Amino acid sequence: MLLRLFYGLVSLVFISLVTFLADEIAPGDAATAVAGEKATQAQVERLRTQMGLDRPWPIRYVEFVGHAVKFDFGESYFGTKEPVNTILGRALPMTMTLAGSAIVLAAILGISLGTVAAVWQNKPPDRIALTMSTLGVTVPNFVLAPILVYIFAVRMDKLPTTWEVNRVAPDFFYLILPVVVLSARPAASLTRLTRASMVDTLSQEFIRLAVAKGVPPWQIYLKHALRNAILPVLTSIGTSFGYLLTGSFVVETIFTMPGLGHAAIDAILKGDTPLILASTLVSGALFVLVNLLVDMVLPMIDPRIRESQI
Amino acid sequence: MRRNWMFWGGVVFLSLLVLFAVFGPYMRHAWNAPVGTARMGPSADFWLGTDEQGRDVFARLAYGARLSLTIGITVQIIAVVVGVIVGVLGVYGPRWVSSPLMRLTDGMFAFPDLLLAIMLVGLFGMGIKPIVASLAIAAWPSVARLVRTQVASLKDREFVVAAQAMGASTPYLVVKHILPHLAGVLMAVMMVDVAATILSESTLSFLGIGVQLPEASWGSMIQTGNSYKQNQPLLLLWPCLMLSLTVFALNFVGDGLRAMTDPKGSETR
Repeated sequence: MLLRLFYGLVSLVFISLVTFLADEIAPGDAATAVAGEKATQAQVERLRTQMGLDRPWPIRYVEFVGHAVKFDFGESYFGTKEPVNTILGRALPMTMTLAGSAIVLAAILGISLGTVAAVWQNKPPDRIALTMSTLGVTVPNFVLAPILVYIFAVRMDKLPTTWEVNRVAPDFFYLILPVVVLSARPAASLTRLTRASMVDTLSQEFIRLAVAKGVPPWQIYLKHALRNAILPVLTSIGTSFGYLLTGSFVVETIFTMPGLGHAAIDAILKGDTPLILASTLVSGALFVLVNLLVDMVLPMIDPRIRESQI
Repeated sequence: MRRNWMFWGGVVFLSLLVLFAVFGPYMRHAWNAPVGTARMGPSADFWLGTDEQGRDVFARLAYGARLSLTIGITVQIIAVVVGVIVGVLGVYGPRWVSSPLMRLTDGMFAFPDLLLAIMLVGLFGMGIKPIVASLAIAAWPSVARLVRTQVASLKDREFVVAAQAMGASTPYLVVKHILPHLAGVLMAVMMVDVAATILSESTLSFLGIGVQLPEASWGSMIQTGNSYKQNQPLLLLWPCLMLSLTVFALNFVGDGLRAMTDPKGSETR
């Protein structure tokens, strides 16, 4: 467990280092941005010394990390020069709601569809589930979203097309389409994984024993097989969270939802470097933390992992 | 049998797509300039109608195909070259080379999905070259990891040991004996990864941080089409259809190739 925590920490350091170095190599620095376009070369140089940008990069990297752990990411270059952490604080709840709901929906859909597919292996339910999961994995979210919006919002007029500041219905209705779109791909890959894992488990000997003992089929599938088959599925929920983060960039843009992705894309279009760096760091850290959490929860479910760790 | 049908379907589609990408942009109208009134429906002159600027949708789709395929293939060639070098060095290189390289490869997986590419595009600017560079930087680690595990498992096989015993040098061994074994797997993986790269490029372009107008990308066409979906859903339909079909075809061909090169793997899937 300690080793796992250590790896998590190393990942965080790696993400921060790559982010910092990418910013170092990229053209332009904070001094040029703060000085503005009209500043002379000498003014920029003076500002650079003032801001401490002329010191060697390892020192500045340590400083960068020191600020980042205190959630101090500096100020935005534009507008009212708002602190970046206020912007992030405003945007994060939206993204967490989106990603959280999507992962729950994806897990429910994926595990149940995958189980159904495995139980009726090579029969129509299996074929349907596999076709749906192939579609879910290959059709990109920004293709799926307009299609669903066209059907449910434009044609049927049942759901709102975009997130609005003045919402006329409960937030739940505004979240339905974005969450469904976001969960499509993880649901599809979890379906495939659950199916493969279940098929594998169902062919093992303890299942044959249970059948021979006369255990009712539903009990075999749900109690004996699924409990054993679900572990790789749970592990992959952590990895699919990475997709949910970048997927929410797209979904937030399509449905104009004021989340982390929306803020990040906005920052990229404007060239607001502090916000770009901060949103990368925060997304990366979230990804590492969620995976850490999954690895912490697994031993609680599976005694085999618990024993192997002692 | 079913797999075969999908594989050949994919091959036919991709061949047609390449022809479309090569000849399409200049077949009837220019792709980058207005040639008619804005948002016309399909007609004999403009087969798929015109977009919001009066540009020929057919020509733009074809140019988008050219761009997607070029970016997809370029990125994957870079990724495979870097991945093979890193992966082979990870097994055969001296410890002070292999160890940091493999740590770096593993470290790259700390970044979720597209995040690294999005950040790099944000810092280095938008346009075709930064996109190719960003996507390649994000794509090589998975190739390197695959190559490393494959090479590590081949390393102790009899034919490699025999060649070594006959005095083959390591570079000779790698080029003549090990890499040919990887060719099949790499081809299959490349097909699927080209699809993933095309999707990533379209995603960036859709978000407005990828290929910039007046260049035509399926992603940016979907973005503009999205705002006209109420009155002209066809403007949205064409690029969506092209992108989805291309991704399907590449995946089918990739799966087919994998089944051919690795019969054991195809049965368990």
